[in-house]
Amino acid sequence: MINTKELEKRWYKYKTKGVLLVVSILAILSLLIYGGYYILYKLDLNIEKKEQPKKAVLSATRVVVKEKNISTPIEKKSIEKGDSDNSVMLSPTIPVIDLEKEKLKDIRARKRAIDYNIAKKTHHKPKKRLVKAKASTYLTASELAEVNGNRYKAKREKKKINMKLSSSNYMSVMKQKFKQNKNPREALLIAQAYYDAGNYKKAEEWALIANNLDKTSDESWLLFAKAKDKLGKRREALKILVVYYNKSKSSKVKALIDKMKSKSI
Amino acid sequence: MKKSKYSEIKNIFIDTVDTNSFVELESTAFNYQILEESLDKPLKMILLFGKPGTGKSMILNRLYHNLKDSREIHYFDAPILSEKEFLKNIYESMSSQKIPQNMRVNFDGLLKYCQKLRGKREVMFLLDECQLYSEALMEKIRLLSDTRVVKFVITLHKTENEDVIAKEHFKTRIWEVIELKNADIDDLEVYIQKKLLQRGFVEVSNMITKKDIKFIHACTKGNFRETNKFLYIVFNIYEYYDLYKPEKINSTKLSKKILEMAAIKIGYIHD
Repeated sequence: MINTKELEKRWYKYKTKGVLLVVSILAILSLLIYGGYYILYKLDLNIEKKEQPKKAVLSATRVVVKEKNISTPIEKKSIEKGDSDNSVMLSPTIPVIDLEKEKLKDIRARKRAIDYNIAKKTHHKPKKRLVKAKASTYLTASELAEVNGNRYKAKREKKKINMKLSSSNYMSVMKQKFKQNKNPREALLIAQAYYDAGNYKKAEEWALIANNLDKTSDESWLLFAKAKDKLGKRREALKILVVYYNKSKSSKVKALIDKMKSKSI
Repeated sequence: MKKSKYSEIKNIFIDTVDTNSFVELESTAFNYQILEESLDKPLKMILLFGKPGTGKSMILNRLYHNLKDSREIHYFDAPILSEKEFLKNIYESMSSQKIPQNMRVNFDGLLKYCQKLRGKREVMFLLDECQLYSEALMEKIRLLSDTRVVKFVITLHKTENEDVIAKEHFKTRIWEVIELKNADIDDLEVYIQKKLLQRGFVEVSNMITKKDIKFIHACTKGNFRETNKFLYIVFNIYEYYDLYKPEKINSTKLSKKILEMAAIKIGYIHD
């Protein structure tokens, strides 16, 4: 007869091995699943980490508007980070739309439209009257020159002075208007005026104000960068444009980046 | 002394070529029919080949027992390796004369004797385990079969290293080749159940499920000899438990544990 006791012992050994094998397979499988999950989770974290510097740059601009000083320590840090790794700055970002801001924008746009219509109505009527009155009551410049002899030239000079006056008036009017409605468009127009006048510091400030009110406006970013460029901060301007380009993918921004890059080369 | 029913069951699976223990399967019945039909054809030699334990000897034995009363048939179940002994046995079988110990049969004389019997008699020899015969002896068998008086049915082990059928003497003379293969799961199930039912162990036959058959087939690869050995050990273990620890066995279902123990014992699975 077979030694069944001995055989039974061998069978228990065999079964234990089998159980151990199953347990180890399950452990390896769970380890693989956990490992896979961990790696994916880590990757997610990395993506978030990559996004953080951009946020820092954007938030820095807000601080700048309040303090009227662009090169804050936070911004400097983010720029330095960008220096070390340009690829991080060029990595794709997820565009997030703030619905409340969008609503606010809509309301503002509607208000602007209403204001514009009212202004149109009030502006056009006196003009029409003026033209009519001019035709009937006033003389033209040449007519007046004929009447007054050689006084025509002097009158022209006077007109020039008036032009200058109207330009400074334009700024004060626009600023007044901006104070009333806080419209980013007005801020942008002021910035543009300053830029055209060669006051790049002021242009930069007003572009930031406009940008703070409307982050999606390409013009405010472009003007801000252009002003910085003129102030001799081309590298800084480029980095800001790159960050914005990652978000907006605007062709205008891309064109300006290329232009600046080619200039710096 | 107390006796277990499993003692009797295990003995069913002792490997024998007893015709009473022959189990008719679909595949074996088909092969047997071909073999029987081949005997009526004017063939010189018939080859039955397959791996060990596929039932070659069993078929040969069955053929002998079925035809011994109707035909002149002789069965050499064990190979006779000595040429002298072989020729002596052939002559004694054909002439029904006993040759004294100090005498031997002359092969030329045997050939002449066979040629004289041409057209008068047809003697059939069933030779088992022919792979053990020497080349010279095989050549003599070929010459004897050429007389058309003696017909040989030979069995050969199918080996991977040596392709015996390719040998010249087999190539030219064997006209019928029957290959026996291991049983598939269904055939194995029928084989085991028939073995148990033949001896009236219906209950035990019902204990074996399809899953158990699959396990047995996985271990034995459907080889009849291996299956017999496996089941012999299974019922040996059953016998032990029945005698000493009857609470450990269930009479309605074959124990997986005991099947695995038997597999460990033979070495199909390793502990």
